[in-house]
Amino acid sequence: MTISRDTKFVHLAWRTHEKELGTVKYLMASDVKGDVGRMFGVLDEGSGLTLRGTFLVAPDGRLTNAEVNFFNVGRNIDELMRKFKANMYLSKKTTEACPSKWKDEGDLTLTPNARMVGKVHEALKAGGKA
Amino acid sequence: MTQTIQVGHQVPDFELEAYDPASGDFAKFSLAKQKGAGRWTVLFFYPADWTFV
Repeated sequence: MTISRDTKFVHLAWRTHEKELGTVKYLMASDVKGDVGRMFGVLDEGSGLTLRGTFLVAPDGRLTNAEVNFFNVGRNIDELMRKFKANMYLSKKTTEACPSKWKDEGDLTLTPNARMVGKVHEALKAGGKA
Repeated sequence: MTQTIQVGHQVPDFELEAYDPASGDFAKFSLAKQKGAGRWTVLFFYPADWTFV
């Protein structure tokens, strides 16, 4: 779902006229008062605009990921998808952790334990086991 | 609401008016309903309509 402080009427007009949005199927939500933006810390009180914040909420209501870009930096879907995939994967594999090079299911994960302390380098070389 | 939510913490339920391009009609987003349906939610904030995303 996308969120800005524009009304649903303006969303409709924008979606109808901007060809880049032609394939958009998700909800375009209206945070007119800025309450939700404020709740997530992305409302710039000076300008009244919301920063380019992206948040992932799990089915249990837990905020699992947050990324905030300034007004002038667009978001990259590959950067976001890696984090979304990692969080969704880890919600099923709760003892594992996704290291920096993890990109998708099947890639090497770590299962942290006492033997791995100070041995992460060896664990990564040994396929995530310690 | 002044408290900012930290990663790992619960997001309080909220509702927002919305435009639903899939149906071409207006709709209401409800976090409680999303949770009830066992769905993940992505919130994608941007400054304003008619700007680049």
